[in-house]
This record gives sequence, structure tokens and C-alpha cells, in this order.
Amino acid sequence: MKKIINGLLIALTLFTASSCSKVDNLQGPNAGFKGNIIDKTTGKNILTETNGIQIKLEELSWSATPTPQFIPSKQDGTFEDEKLFKGHYRVTPYGGAFWPVTGTELDISGTTSHDFTITPYLTVTNVTSNLSGTTLTLTFSLVAPIPAGLPQIIDVKPFVNDTKFVGSGANINSYSDVNKITLNSSYADVVGKTYTLTIPNLKTGRTFYARVGVRVDDSFKQYNYSDVIEVQVP
Amino acid sequence: MKRFKYIITIAAGLIFASCHKLAVAPLNVLGDDAVFSSASGITSYFANIYKTLPIEDFKYEQNNGFNQDWQNFYHPGALCGEMVGPYGSTYDGTGGFGYWPYNNIRTVNVLIDALPKYAASFTDAQKNQWLGEAYFCRAYFYFALVKRYGGIPIVKTVQDYPADIGTLQVHRDKEVDVWKFIGDDLDKAYQMMPETSVRGRANRYVAAALKSRAMVYAGTVAKYGSTNFVAGDAQTAGYVGIAAAEAPGFFKQAIDAAKLLEGHYSLYQKNADKVQNYINIFLDQDSPENILVKDYSLPSNTAHSWDATMSPRYMTADGLSRAYPTMELVERFANLTITNTDGTPKRFTSTGDIMAGLEPRLLATVYFPGATLRGLTFDVQRGIYEHFTGTAADELSGNPPNQSFRHLAGSTDALFSGKRIIGFTGISTDGDDKTRTGFYVRKYIDPNKPIAECGLYKSTTSWIDMRYAEVLLNRAEADVETGDNADALTIINQIRTRAGATLASPGDITVDYVRNERCMELAFEKHYWWDIRRWRIADRILDNTRFHALVPYLVLNEGKFIFLREVENFQRSYTFEKKFYYEGLPGGELGKNPNLYPNNPNY
Repeated sequence: MKKIINGLLIALTLFTASSCSKVDNLQGPNAGFKGNIIDKTTGKNILTETNGIQIKLEELSWSATPTPQFIPSKQDGTFEDEKLFKGHYRVTPYGGAFWPVTGTELDISGTTSHDFTITPYLTVTNVTSNLSGTTLTLTFSLVAPIPAGLPQIIDVKPFVNDTKFVGSGANINSYSDVNKITLNSSYADVVGKTYTLTIPNLKTGRTFYARVGVRVDDSFKQYNYSDVIEVQVP
Repeated sequence: MKRFKYIITIAAGLIFASCHKLAVAPLNVLGDDAVFSSASGITSYFANIYKTLPIEDFKYEQNNGFNQDWQNFYHPGALCGEMVGPYGSTYDGTGGFGYWPYNNIRTVNVLIDALPKYAASFTDAQKNQWLGEAYFCRAYFYFALVKRYGGIPIVKTVQDYPADIGTLQVHRDKEVDVWKFIGDDLDKAYQMMPETSVRGRANRYVAAALKSRAMVYAGTVAKYGSTNFVAGDAQTAGYVGIAAAEAPGFFKQAIDAAKLLEGHYSLYQKNADKVQNYINIFLDQDSPENILVKDYSLPSNTAHSWDATMSPRYMTADGLSRAYPTMELVERFANLTITNTDGTPKRFTSTGDIMAGLEPRLLATVYFPGATLRGLTFDVQRGIYEHFTGTAADELSGNPPNQSFRHLAGSTDALFSGKRIIGFTGISTDGDDKTRTGFYVRKYIDPNKPIAECGLYKSTTSWIDMRYAEVLLNRAEADVETGDNADALTIINQIRTRAGATLASPGDITVDYVRNERCMELAFEKHYWWDIRRWRIADRILDNTRFHALVPYLVLNEGKFIFLREVENFQRSYTFEKKFYYEGLPGGELGKNPNLYPNNPNY
């Protein structure tokens, strides 16, 4: 009896093993897409935050109305996704504080690099910072590369964090959101003015990273940023 | 032996003969004849339709849909600052649940199509009543669709199925056309239905009430959606958004529809005590204010759990509470005086003293610290200060001077100097089954139900889907949007008189004032989410916003209570993105019907 059962089990194992002769021969997501998002006014990478801008990918190989996928930007204005399927895509910078652009169609295979050039709604210029005691003051003014048709400017806000990654998605709320200045003004009322943001009661003995953000009332309400400033509170 | 041969032959012959009828009507499927030829058949057909009507009642959840389980605290108001609750953020509800009731709409269309064929069996009045009801129900379904998605396909006939797939893949209609279609259906419903109906079913005034609601929605979408919108293909094509020029027409229709109810319904004013009167609006089965209600019962397994899930377990037999009114909602009624003129917190002998002089409607809408329910007191207390000096503002700043003398606790067992640190009804540092804001919901809570009966699936309080106060507020809003402030003032003061509030003066009447009145009167009735959406203010008021609590503390050395206006203790932040003014069309439907593209902007 035992022999028969064993024999059957061995036969079953062999059958099972032999049934696996067909392998999945479709290619995995072995292509990549990366590049820079360049600020047209400076020629350098745009000042943004993690996921401050997305690259929208629509794979047109199969359907004219695909469900889009998104690559989030990094803080340095680059983006990268190494796990994409090879194919024909429409790629569009999307969801950030810049004038909308139309997409480009291209083939992605291997690692494809592509740079996008966009025009931000506003740039934060003439930034100065001053730490007095535990109070940080930031002064700056706002310049719009394209003033015509700029949506209303909602507010200017300081963003303070204890790491270099700082923006609307990564900040210490009690230093950041509470110290904002609400504007709700058109660009004509803002241009040429100098604004001062004050952040009191910073914790002593710490290093903070601060930057200024400004946003307009467009579809996404994302921020245009200044550079990150390192602040050491003694 | 031969005999058997004959017998078998004859038997075989009989078997063949028995098979002459095969096309017998199946007994387990009811055809049109069986249903539409008798009044009882049509009534049961309607029962089926009403059961699926998208009434956002106790058991509705923004992200899961209708007829959900016992967790009634998943309330849309907790997504947007009317309450704070179990939702982690606004995003939990913005996606909806892919509502797509074209099967239900087909059920209505079948009735509209079939009924005239059986007209001979009924009187004209009876036939018209049913047709009117069908138009009302169809409008109700389309209203639930258009407020979510904007323009969707208008299907007003019974589609032939199975048929060529091309004829079934219908295109979207423009948003403005859907609103107009709803208005037309409700006009027909108004004309065809009689003045009265059995409880829970529509009559002509129910149709008019829904019309006033739908038209004021359409008017505000046209007026505010044309300036605050997300650009995209669907917007350019008119599938979402309405031209601003259409707004006055919609507002006028809202006013006209609301006026039809005048004299037929009235505000509930049976009790001389204003607080008790306001409570009874939601408990009295015979309120002259009720326009459309939904009933529940234990035998039919339809009972809900509002009593068990909106009050703390301390006062109920089962379940738990997780959604609590915010200070921001309370401040719509009045600013509470919790500090003295020098900025120090006012001292109270008992927490309930805070209720002195407040508007009766507010007291009937939320339970304040110190209020009582079923013989138990809302002993809300977040902690104990050994002593407290200085101002409330200092204590709430970055460097609170008294905080090292403050004691908080997670459990009601924790003592300090022999006194319980927190109350049985909150505010705990642990979990959210006790209040986070100092308040509890009072509306629809039945205080006469003994604790033992406040269990899950044990509440049978009727849901009031439409009441006359809402119709009046629809009219007042449309009035103020079209410049008829005098009429708006009259109406607002009717509502404020019943509420026991101070009356408004002509100078008060602005759009914001009327909206605020609506938010107060209809608090927790599942209007607020849709209201801030259609006013297109949600992205402004929910912008990394944190909501506040009224937090009582015992100051030990003085033996007195103080209140601080703190951020609620979960410190949750709520943000509404502009694209959420419309939900995206359900992915499954887009997959089946490519003609539904373009999808709404940014989906």
C-alpha cells in the first residue's frame, strides 16, 4: 500500500513539475524615464518640493484614453522612474505652480531622458534672512515672469523644517502655517513690494531649514519656492 | 409477453402526447401583465424604487454609499469641519463610491413606458399619480448623479438590451441640460401628483421641495463654478460647469418652487419651550414640517444606530461614538465668552454654566459640557491644572507657562489629588471614543430611550430627508442671490424666531449671513458637504485647516473650571483640492463606455 501511495506521489510531483513548461515571456517593467524640470527664467532646475510637480504619463500604445500614471518630482527639480513598461507615451509636466504646457509624445525604452522647460507663475527674489535671538525674519519680493492673466495670489508662507527636505508637504506646522501672510491680491498689488515673514520662538540649539513659498489660485494651488536657507539657532 | 409490448407502446405514445405544451409562462417570473395591471402590483413595484432612492440618511457614508452598517459616525460632516471624526482627512471622502444608478433609472423608465399600456385598468387620477411619482423618483436619481459628476448621460427611455453595443454606449450630456431635465421632470411630477401622499412617498409638494433644492444647487454651480473651476476638456465641452448667465433663471425657479409649499407645510412650533421644541422637530412623527421622511423598524431589519454611535458608551448600551461637533460650528451661532477682558480664562463654578444665555437651537443641536442625557451628565474635562496664572493666549502659545502643572490622562481611572483627571465623557489622551472637541451631537438623539435600548441597530427615529425649514432656506438663498433681500429677511426671521435666536435686521442680510443660517439650521443633516462644494468655497475653508475644541479643565487650587480654545487633540488637517468639486466618473463605467470621455478635469 505504502509503495503505491509513494509511487502515486512521485508521479504527481513529476506531472506537476512538467506542467510548468510555459514561462511568462512578456517583458517586465524594464524601461525608465528620467530628466529635469527646468525653469525657463533661470535655465536651472525649478525650485520645488517632493511631489511639487508630477510628470503625467499616458501610455498610448493600447488606448487613446489611458489611465494616467504620475512620476513625482524630487526637491531638486528632477524626476525618475526606473520601473516602466516600454511603450509609446504622452508625457506632460502637471500639477505644479507653473503655466500649463501641452504634452510631448515619445517612446520610452531602456532609460529615456527628457528635460521639460516650464515657466513658473512667480519667482521669489531678493530673499534675505536674519536671525535675531530665536526669531527668524525673511524678506523677499515676488516677480511674475508672465504677468498677464496671472491668477490671484493667495498667500505667502514660510516653511521651516528640521531636515533639508522642506515644503508644503514637509514642515513644522507651528513655525510654518501659522506665520503666513494672506494676500488674495492681484499681481498689480504685489509687484515691487517687499514682504517680511516673521517666525518667532524657534527652539534653541537646533538647525532649521527655511524657505518661502507663494501660491496662486489656479487649479492646483501649489507653491513656487525660494532656495532653502539653513538657520542655526544658537 | 406480447401484452407487455402493447403496454410499452401505448405508454410511449402517451409520453409523446404529453409534450405538446412546452412554451408555458414561468411561474417564478412576474411579467409586465402581472405587475402593471393591478394597483397592488404597482405599489410593490414602487416599494422597490423607493428602497433604492439615494436618500442620504443615517446609514449613508460619503465613501461607501447607502445602507451601510452600524458605524453612523462615518458622517460626511466629519470630512469637512462640521465635525471631526474617524476620517483621517478630507481625501477619505472626496472620491465617492462610484455611484452609477442607471439600473434603478431603468426600473423607473420601465414603469413610465409600461403604465400607459395598462391605462384602461385605472382612473386617470391614479395613473397620473404614479407617473408623477416616477418622474419624481427619476429626478431624485439624476440629482444624486449630477451633484457628484456634473453632466452625465440622460437616459429617459428603456434601452433595448441586448442590442447593438453602439446604441448603449451613450454620450455625456452637458451639466446645464441635466439640471434642466431634472427641473422638467419635477414640473411634470408636480402637475401630475395629488396634494397628499402616504408617509414616506412623494406628493406634488415633495416634488416642489426637491425642485427648490435642485435649482438652488444649479444656480450656485452656475454662479460660483464659472469663476472657481478646474480647466480641462470636460469643462470646455460644458460637461462640467454652467455659464454664469444661467444662474438667475435657476434661482428664480428655486424661489417659485419653494413658494408652492406655502400654506401646506409649516415650521414645527408645538412646544413653548424653545429648546425642547427644537429637539422634538426630529423626534415627533407628526411634525407639520416634515416633507419627505424615511422610516425604520426592528422587524424589517432596517433600524439604524444613531443613538448608540453619536453619544458616548457611558450613556448607551453598545457601540461607541467617534464624530464630534467642532468649535467652528458652535461659533456660527455665537462666540462663547471663555476669557475675561484682561485675557485670563474666565472661571466657572460648573462647566454647564457655559450654556447660560445661548441660543436654544444651539443647545438643541449639540450637547455642551454640563448637559444631561438619560440622567447622566456630560462631565467633559480634559485634565487638571494644579494652578493657572496668566492669559489663555499665553497658555496656547509656543511657550505655555502653566503646562508643567497640567495633568492629562487616557483613562477615567487616573486620579490626581484624589480627583478624576478626565470625565467619563472625555477628553482622553487615548483613542477617540470620547469627545475630541468638548461637544457631542444632540440632533436626532432620542433622550427618552432608556440606556438599555440604545444598542446597535436599535434606533428607529425617522430620517427627515426634506423639511420645510430647508425649503425656506433654499428660497432665502435664491432671494439673496437675486437681490430680493426683503423676502430673505422675512424668511430668515421665521426660522430664527422658531430657533429662539435674536432676529436679523435688514442690514444683516448678505449671502454669507444666509449661508451661515443654513449651516446652523441644517447642521448634521448631511447638507454641509454638498453646500460648501456648490458654493465653491471648500478649497478655501479647507486649506490645511485644523479645527478647534472647547476644552474644559479643573483648576485645582481654585476649585473652578476654565475653558481653553485648543486645536482638537488629534490635530488633523483638512484640505480640499479644487478638482474634488466634481468626482471622477467611475473607472469601470469608463472602461465599458468610451463615449463617457472626457472624464472630469484632472482625473
